[in-house]
Amino acid sequence: MTALHEQGAGQQESVRIGLAATGLSKAFGGVRAVHDATVAFHHGKINALIGPNGSGKTTFFNCVTGMIKPDSGTVTYYGADITGKAPHRIARAGVGRSFQLCRIFPRMTALENVLAAVRPPSKTRLLASAHHHGDVARARELLSRVGIEHLEGAEARALSYGQQKLLELAGVLMADPDTIMLDEPAGGVNPALIERIAGLVRSLNAEGKTFIVVEHNMELVMSLSDHVVVFDRGSQISEGPPSVVQNDPRVLEAYLGV
Amino acid sequence: MSLFVQSLVLGVLLGGLYALLAAGLTLYFGVMRVVMIAHSAFLILAAYLAWVFTRETGLDPLLSMVGTVPLFFVVGVAIQRLLMARLRPATLTMMSVLLTFSIALVIEGMLGWLFTGTQRRVRLPYGGADFEAAGANVAVVKLIAFVLAALSLLALYLLLTRTRFGQALRATIQHPEAARLVGIDTDRTAGYGFGIGLATAAIGGTALALDSTIYPSLHWHWIGPLMAIIVVGGLGSIPGAAIAAMILGIGQALLQIPLNTTWAQTIFYVALFVTLMVRPQGFFGGRLAQRF
Amino acid sequence: MPSASDRTRGSGLTTALKIVGILALAAAVLSFPSFAANPFILSVGVVIMSYAVLATGWNFVGGFTGYMSLGHAAYSGLGGYATALLIIESGINPWLALVLGALLTAVIAVPVGIASLRVRGASFVIVSIAFVLILQLVFQSWGEFTGGSNGLRVPRPFGPDVLRPEQHERFFYLHAAVLAIALLTWWLIDRSRFGIGLKAIREDEDKAQALGIPTFNYKLVAFVVSAFFTAVGGGLYALWFGFLDPIFQFSILIGSYMVLMSLLGGIRSLFGPMLGALVVGYSVEFFKNEYGDTQFHLVATGLLLGLVVLFMPDGVLPALAALLRRFRPQESSIREVTQAELAEQRNSDPITQGAKR
Repeated sequence: MTALHEQGAGQQESVRIGLAATGLSKAFGGVRAVHDATVAFHHGKINALIGPNGSGKTTFFNCVTGMIKPDSGTVTYYGADITGKAPHRIARAGVGRSFQLCRIFPRMTALENVLAAVRPPSKTRLLASAHHHGDVARARELLSRVGIEHLEGAEARALSYGQQKLLELAGVLMADPDTIMLDEPAGGVNPALIERIAGLVRSLNAEGKTFIVVEHNMELVMSLSDHVVVFDRGSQISEGPPSVVQNDPRVLEAYLGV
Repeated sequence: MSLFVQSLVLGVLLGGLYALLAAGLTLYFGVMRVVMIAHSAFLILAAYLAWVFTRETGLDPLLSMVGTVPLFFVVGVAIQRLLMARLRPATLTMMSVLLTFSIALVIEGMLGWLFTGTQRRVRLPYGGADFEAAGANVAVVKLIAFVLAALSLLALYLLLTRTRFGQALRATIQHPEAARLVGIDTDRTAGYGFGIGLATAAIGGTALALDSTIYPSLHWHWIGPLMAIIVVGGLGSIPGAAIAAMILGIGQALLQIPLNTTWAQTIFYVALFVTLMVRPQGFFGGRLAQRF
Repeated sequence: MPSASDRTRGSGLTTALKIVGILALAAAVLSFPSFAANPFILSVGVVIMSYAVLATGWNFVGGFTGYMSLGHAAYSGLGGYATALLIIESGINPWLALVLGALLTAVIAVPVGIASLRVRGASFVIVSIAFVLILQLVFQSWGEFTGGSNGLRVPRPFGPDVLRPEQHERFFYLHAAVLAIALLTWWLIDRSRFGIGLKAIREDEDKAQALGIPTFNYKLVAFVVSAFFTAVGGGLYALWFGFLDPIFQFSILIGSYMVLMSLLGGIRSLFGPMLGALVVGYSVEFFKNEYGDTQFHLVATGLLLGLVVLFMPDGVLPALAALLRRFRPQESSIREVTQAELAEQRNSDPITQGAKR
């Protein structure tokens, strides 16, 4: 599914669309959290989703990944309709996600946290040992990739918040998704760790993973992303390369409230 | 035909009591996502207190509410503040069920211990009185129970819609985080929500004592139908619970015509299963129910 | 806690110790009948074994998924009645009836599970209680089939030449065999990919689903397996006791014993429910024998359950084990690292707490 896409600088570039939403809406009581949002994320790129607090980014995330059923609109993944599908189906279609404030399995060890994301090759293999040596080797490799391999035997709740974020990322990677959605990866962690997470995102992107990142840290967004989508009041108000979005008057208005 | 009208009237009268009690159960669930298993145990406890009150003083059991309603309110607040608030949020739903379940067992056991398993009944001068209305024979005690339930429900409705506290309570039920953001003390509100919920059990229990035989394990016959009602109505929705209570109460009374009493009671369970199969969020409920 | 993680850490020595421990436990259980002073003590042993089977059966759903069923007496009761009615109505071999009855119960558990597991916790609890209440109603009212309130006499599987003490002994071993199978199954699931998925559901269901675990299917399978083992326990009890009464079979109290035993012993551990059954079962029988059937056992059960939920939700035995561990000086290097990390990260803890929903 290739689409010709208007790029900010004027030149035309062929862009493949991965995850996309059309006319997506979700209201809670009287509050329209997401309202008629039409968004397209670019395949193979680091996409960022930004917007002021309460602009509906997390609700949009939850609608797209099936955690919340949207009231109307469609969600497609490389053209296939995934609207309202169960979260595990969307995950199995290749979309991995992290949670805002980070969610791990607190009473399981770090290694088990990662192993929980294993997809058995068939139903009959479900009763095979979870500590299958191939799985364990891969889980260890991922733990060492995010830099917490020395903690594999520790219960996840004993880890620091930053370590838990890294652990969550390792778990997401274990499921081997094509598209990885991160909800505020830099929220509540120290600058050194932000650099580490950014480095991981870049290297994984270089290996072909598509990223969609919700983030408040503008410095990080501008340095990391290839394509930025700006949300305000539940729908997209601007999109394009960071340099263009940065100077869009509508974005400034949304952020500064002028 | 007159049997039909008779049953219909009985159903409405019963439905009123169900509605009041289900509203209480919904309140607990709304403010804290707690399924309060002990609700009906407190109902029976209140009925016993009314019975003891009348036996000891010779006064009308309705007067016992002067004591039981405030008492139950305080106990409800205490249960929320001292017990429920101690549970970890991650496992709150399951652990609160176990905790309220254990409270129910203790109440049932204590009642059995103090009063034995013998069936008890309040003796009333107007206990056998009845009158004819629209071709139906209505027992005075049943009408009193219904009026009591209806007035309490009306009071609850006014409290929830007309007062500042009611507003805070509804906000807490609908969106606790948002409620906290606008400055509502959701912990305190949840405590009062529990108190009011338990106060409905005090009123309901007194109403029950008027025309029913009571025994310690009777609460199991109430908690099942009440839980079914709140699921059918949509967990967390008070109007939903009231509507479902009325419909199922009438349904139960009408089913007693072709079936016996025991089989008629299965309507609640059938409705519960059908609801969960067809529409797990309930028929009148809001978004709250979807995730519980 | 003998969870799957132990093996990656455990050395050959601990494995050997575990095997010795299990063999000692098995020897102790198997030799009990020969030490039992009289048939009464032996019958208490059978009751405790029966509780152990029921609690371990309960723990397939309670322990793995964290969904607490208060009405599991529904499945032990159905297992008992199904076994009895199959023998009475079709005259088949009692042991075949036991297995068929349990399978039938598992089949009945499927729609119940579908209705109660699609949404989260609260509906499950409501249905679990509602189901046992409805079964009590039905089995009391449906007199011509179930015997109604008069109860149902279950044909004896052994001939009249087998005397009472001999009966007790045989049933003790039968229960032990079923318990061993249940424990083995639990252990197999615990160490499997399926088991790790179930535990992920217990920890954080949303997160598990976001990782691609089909949570509903997993929960349903665990639930049906649990119903099956609980039904085998109920059926075996019916064959031993020889009489069924809806009031006792579909009793809320039996269901709450299962919860109490498992919780007390620790729902995350293999032998927890069994040990809980030993403690609770023994106390229940002791009090029954000393004071008869009073309402007091309701109060005691309620109080104990409330205390465990409030103060030791992980179980008494795990709490004791943790206490012991604190007095042991040496710990693995992994622990030291986390301790250091913990000290360093104390101030970020509130955020972590918030993340745990």
